[in-house]
Amino acid sequence: MRGAWFAGLAVLAVILDSAVAPEIEIGGARPDFLVLVIAYAGLVLGARPATILGFIVGLVVDSEQPEYLGLHALALSAVGFACAFAWEHLFRGSVFVQMSLLFGAALAHDLIFYVVYYRNHVDMFARFMGRFGLAGAAYTAALALLLYVLARALGWRSIVGGTRV
Amino acid sequence: MLAQLSRVLRGNRELTTFLVCVLLSLVCLSLPPGAKGFVSTILSGAILGPIERASTAIVQRSRVREENAALRRIAIDLMIERAALVDYRHENERLRELMGFLVAFPKEELAEIVPARVIGMPGGRVVEGMKIDKGLRDSLVVGMPIVVPGGLVGKIASVGTNYSLVEPLTSASSGVSVITERGRVRGVVKPRFGAASRRVTWEIDYVQARSDIKEGDLVVTSGLGDVYPPGISVGRVVSAVEGPLTMSIEVELSVDFSKVEQVFVLTGRPGNPAEMDELREGLLRELDSERAALEGLP
Repeated sequence: MRGAWFAGLAVLAVILDSAVAPEIEIGGARPDFLVLVIAYAGLVLGARPATILGFIVGLVVDSEQPEYLGLHALALSAVGFACAFAWEHLFRGSVFVQMSLLFGAALAHDLIFYVVYYRNHVDMFARFMGRFGLAGAAYTAALALLLYVLARALGWRSIVGGTRV
Repeated sequence: MLAQLSRVLRGNRELTTFLVCVLLSLVCLSLPPGAKGFVSTILSGAILGPIERASTAIVQRSRVREENAALRRIAIDLMIERAALVDYRHENERLRELMGFLVAFPKEELAEIVPARVIGMPGGRVVEGMKIDKGLRDSLVVGMPIVVPGGLVGKIASVGTNYSLVEPLTSASSGVSVITERGRVRGVVKPRFGAASRRVTWEIDYVQARSDIKEGDLVVTSGLGDVYPPGISVGRVVSAVEGPLTMSIEVELSVDFSKVEQVFVLTGRPGNPAEMDELREGLLRELDSERAALEGLP
């Protein structure tokens, strides 16, 4: 049931990434809603479902750019797996941990994406990572704070439960 | 080695899933372009298409809203520009009219004219008074006639340092000695207030019955009483009804008092041609700047 919820959220994130993110960008930096959803899928659902969800949604997103089919799938499945793995070894109820992890996940996603995309253009890779990757990751991590506040208000224990595995 | 790896993977289903996903991703990345296109077409047609349509609808809606706001701003700007344009046009027409008036006036009489702007116009249904921006500083005195290109406006009733109050023809106490241009019939134009003062008309009093007055006759100042110079247009006869002793003659005034913006005071002073030339040049300059402003508008 929760898996279906996250699948729906992932679809919503795809829409938000293309329709809303450009509207709320700050100095060219956009939040990555899809990374946010996949990362929290890792927190709530665990590593396997998050990895599979990241892979499927990534593949769907890749279909828009057939030349790089599998690139988003690779990056998002890695984000899902890494986040779930990290949650299990960290104090997941801490908002700072969640923000840091989100920052790392978004950065890792961009890193994987840009490494493959600009594999022959190191200067472009460095410029995009510096200009958009870091700022976008910080923006995405900032959204984690909002999500944390919301989760606290609504009593979502899987996010604010404060368990350490 | 393989057996050991198999044992590790079997014991860690999460890692196995991740590695399978990574493997599949790499397979997808290494597919030939044709196969990538095929897979992409299926995926985008079945899943991404509806999602994109939804996101496009959201984007378009927000764009339409932005466009609406931008168009509204443009409409307001255009309304403001249009209002400015209408103002300029009126100003231009007024200045042309004044220019024509000044050119038509005999030079020796023009020298006795002081231009003034109307800065106040108290009164409701009819204009009861006018305030102009010239006064004692400009050597104006009580009784000086006020005219516009259309005809007679009234006379100065009181003078302040830098303003004067004008008693227009429309004021209840006004009375002007007039003569009809065609029949040379004399009389005095005065306002008549109808029932409950709802209607005001101007009539020529003291005209004997069977005088030569017809509808449409031009009525000008007679020069009697030494207040107004002769020959200034006052109005036209709109009806002339015979009575037993006198005629009842209604006049339509030639000046629309509610639209008067600029007037001329006939001072009767000896003229200064240089000053009048300056006035003419000033008006021409104002006309030129109006024209430039009009040309500058989109």
